[in-house]
Amino acid sequence: MNSRLQDRVCVVTGAARGIGLAIAERFGREGGRLACVDVSARRLEPAVEGLKSEGFEARAYGVDVGKREDVHALFAQIESEFAAPVAVLVNNAVWARFEPLAQIEIETVERMFAVGVHGLIWTTQAAAPQMERRGGGSIVNLSSVSAFNPAKDSIAYSALKAGVVGLSRASAIELSAKKIRVNVIAPGMIGTPASIAQFDEATIAARQAEMPAGRFGEPEEIAALAAFLASDDASYIQGAVVTADGGWTIPAR
Amino acid sequence: MRRLEGKRAVVTGGGSGIGRASAIRFAREGAAVLVVGRAGNTEETAAAIRSEGETASALIIDASIEENVAEIVRRCVSELGGLEVFFANIGVTGTNTPLLEQTVEEWSEVYRINTISCFLAIKYAGRHMTAQGYGSIILTSSAASLRANAGAISYSASKAAVNNLAQTAANAFAGTGVRVNAVLPGLVETQLTRKVFEDARARGIEAKLGHVTPMKRPGRSEEIAAAAAFLASDDSSYVDGQLLSVDGGVSSTHPYGRIAL
Repeated sequence: MNSRLQDRVCVVTGAARGIGLAIAERFGREGGRLACVDVSARRLEPAVEGLKSEGFEARAYGVDVGKREDVHALFAQIESEFAAPVAVLVNNAVWARFEPLAQIEIETVERMFAVGVHGLIWTTQAAAPQMERRGGGSIVNLSSVSAFNPAKDSIAYSALKAGVVGLSRASAIELSAKKIRVNVIAPGMIGTPASIAQFDEATIAARQAEMPAGRFGEPEEIAALAAFLASDDASYIQGAVVTADGGWTIPAR
Repeated sequence: MRRLEGKRAVVTGGGSGIGRASAIRFAREGAAVLVVGRAGNTEETAAAIRSEGETASALIIDASIEENVAEIVRRCVSELGGLEVFFANIGVTGTNTPLLEQTVEEWSEVYRINTISCFLAIKYAGRHMTAQGYGSIILTSSAASLRANAGAISYSASKAAVNNLAQTAANAFAGTGVRVNAVLPGLVETQLTRKVFEDARARGIEAKLGHVTPMKRPGRSEEIAAAAAFLASDDSSYVDGQLLSVDGGVSSTHPYGRIAL
């Protein structure tokens, strides 16, 4: 029960910090072999060194998932270096800006969708044949409560994260025949340094008061959910969206 | 990493199917389990758990009756030393009587057993858990709560009410440390669905069971149990008021699956 991902090659994108790093760490503790991907090789290297120092097998890949050719080359390299096909893929990488409608620029939207939607299509496209060769696999995509319950200044972000849900469920239909499961995590407010930095103290206190849990989530709590969905414990869960928001989106007010 | 080490868990409907599989899984994750059911197979589940060297007691009682649910909570605390997890898992299917012929008596009975039993679990386990500031309550709902033609009409409506109860109770327990979630199984062979499976076998179309799901197969009780174990454990510590579908994708994809696939 303690090594649900034993010997499985697990690709985690956006793995240099925050939720992605917590997922890599949890997968390592569950026996996974870690292929850590991030657009910033500079940030990724020390993170992967940290994972190795915990005794995990981990490799760093500085790749922009928004580029199709790069992603296909990345997955070929991962299979070659681990000498095994990819079993688990976590699409966590994201680049986002939160702005009112009038301020949204072409470059912002293009970059957001290149990383957060196109990137998922490319990684899924590259991973699926490897998973099929090993007899199946599990893909976990990070959406957000913003997909269904947007907050202020999140027009592009909500579209992006709703896009993740649609592409995941549609992928689930096509990939079921290859014994690949595709599921979605919709986190609420997670207390990563990047998310906390967006708000002043009063806003943080007000948001926490709205949540039945009364607090922001920890990256490790999303990682625990990702490990469940990635593992065979979720073997009959397909196309599901699992929200982890401390009950934030349950009440009307 | 046994994820329910030191926890005390009640599983109702524990004599067979999803309840039995969950009681066994919870125990393998380290929980002491009070297996609750109406029939003698309740004791068999507890005995199976003890034969693996884990801890379990059996209580033969109807978990749809108010004073009995109070007694279940008392017995778990007195026999196992506490209560951190309550899996409210009893249910009946209702009948496929044509809608226009259905009776208030049938609806009342289906609601009493499927929905009010969940309210009672929340009420009595909730009193104990909110007082101690910690707990996880899991309700068995169904894919039929989200989709038509996946069960009897009274059953489907009663399970939709269970979904709402998971959400409203989670909100009512805000700030208490007690979480409430529902697990929504698709088609699984249990005592409730045995007739569906037996009829399909008799007609030689067993392979078609579950064919409307993207995964093209029914689920197994153990797969629902693994999801229940996740919701019971601290691995789901930020998951609250949620409806976890474990249905092979039937509720998340195009309803005309046979055409779309």
